[in-house]
Amino acid sequence: MSKNVVPVGPYHPLLEEAEYFTLTVDGETVVDIDLDIGWMHRGHELISERKTFTQSIYLVERICGICSTSHPLACVHAVEDVDNIEVPERAAYIRTLIGELERIHSHLLWFGLAGHFIGYDTLWMWCWKYREPVLQMFEIISGNRNHYGMMRVGGVARDVDPGRIKELYTILDEIDSKMIMIAGAAKDDPVLKTRLKGVGVLSNRDAVDYCAVGPTARASGVHTDVRKDEPNDAYGWIEFDEIVLENGDVYDKFVVRVLETIESGKIIRQCLEKLDTVKGPILNNIKQIGIGEGIGRYEAPRGEVFHFIRTDGTNRPIRHKVRAPSYVNIPTFNASCKGIPVADALITLASVDPCYCCTERSIKIIHPNHDPAELDLLKLSREKTNQIRREIHGR
Amino acid sequence: MHEKQTFMKNMEDKIGYTIDKKDRLYFEVPNEHLLEVTDYLFNTMGCRLSTASCMEMYRGIEVLYHFSHDASGTYFCPRIVMTDRKNPQMNSISPIVKGAEWIEREMSEYWGVTFKGHPRPEPLLTKDHPKGEGLGQPFRIRRVS
Repeated sequence: MSKNVVPVGPYHPLLEEAEYFTLTVDGETVVDIDLDIGWMHRGHELISERKTFTQSIYLVERICGICSTSHPLACVHAVEDVDNIEVPERAAYIRTLIGELERIHSHLLWFGLAGHFIGYDTLWMWCWKYREPVLQMFEIISGNRNHYGMMRVGGVARDVDPGRIKELYTILDEIDSKMIMIAGAAKDDPVLKTRLKGVGVLSNRDAVDYCAVGPTARASGVHTDVRKDEPNDAYGWIEFDEIVLENGDVYDKFVVRVLETIESGKIIRQCLEKLDTVKGPILNNIKQIGIGEGIGRYEAPRGEVFHFIRTDGTNRPIRHKVRAPSYVNIPTFNASCKGIPVADALITLASVDPCYCCTERSIKIIHPNHDPAELDLLKLSREKTNQIRREIHGR
Repeated sequence: MHEKQTFMKNMEDKIGYTIDKKDRLYFEVPNEHLLEVTDYLFNTMGCRLSTASCMEMYRGIEVLYHFSHDASGTYFCPRIVMTDRKNPQMNSISPIVKGAEWIEREMSEYWGVTFKGHPRPEPLLTKDHPKGEGLGQPFRIRRVS
């Protein structure tokens, strides 16, 4: 049987941004995958070296529209690590509150996309609808639905209005009930389970070897969660569970995220309780950052965001290294995509919730007898779900 | 803290100048001992590689790996200094840590470092770029320590 090459990207319904994967298929089985990244050089690291520490926060906030708290939070952690700067207690709770809200809205966004890819458009519409109250909470807290501009070295920029905490509770109750409903759907829906169980398995060994992070690693039984490993901000004072599953397939990645959103709800509730009672400053007055090196990290929805900063005593870094979680999660496709049917490739590629900060130029590979670029992966994936649905429900 | 002490005790003769901060250990490693130290961190201690960062300093080009010991929240950061700026070379840790493949390829194209023993020594971000238009030149800017 001849081997064909299926290009996924550079522009594809699967990918919110431009990216390019080359799947080598033998019949319907993926036998090899090549990952090609990097056509949009955004230059954040270099630009940051020409900004002050406060300006850098706004810069890194724009690395990703979804992780627009995780990057600035890791960035301020890195600067604070240079001089062991403490953060006021109230500011720590506000940071944690925003970080967890971001986790819920990011996971809801992914549930919706995952549903869309496998032909569950109702799930897609629901999840994005339920994401809306989370954005309302952001607006109440920061004045913005995205790019909140809340982080500062030594604290946060704005306080939470005590008069609106009751309103936040009401919205949170609504979000919690919806998350429990989605968790129930994930647990009980036979089609969803059959469609995602055993698909795109990333073994524990591979997750460790590729240094995977976040839900991608935790679904494969790897205990890695910055909130537990290095509890910054209020995480050390708050009770929550680290969600770790064993199978490493797409279903487990889905369930890890669902359960994490429920845990996030618990964390937010504890933060709101504390913000009702803990008073005090929200920002320490930092005059100068000394000479040294600092590592900052935060458990973003997709996994550990890592920032490294080297300073020379001025008000700007001389080196600012940024590593997003997808940078270490995308290479795991080398392990999880091989040997799976091409209809499952789409959801497997989406399962790590990849975030591409880069774009690709167009490419089309034409086989003499067949143009694999014509393959509609979205259609294939949806047809497989429909087939399972027919087998289970008889319609 | 226990992990730091164990590491220092077992690798004492393999590492050089060390900066010991709270939950952070930055230490210099001669190139000839890099693989041994990496093997100890990754396979014996169970550390995870977060990433690596490259800098150009007065002494030369520095590569700093960031290994996270998740169980204790401690970072172990081996630093390799290459004084030959025109032809910086060092051993690749990718044969031991698969997760280092991309970042070593990236550092290679940004900073011109040759990673000996890398399983796929080709550019990561500028693979199809015309030669001479890499990111190295604008990125390699003078550093002060």
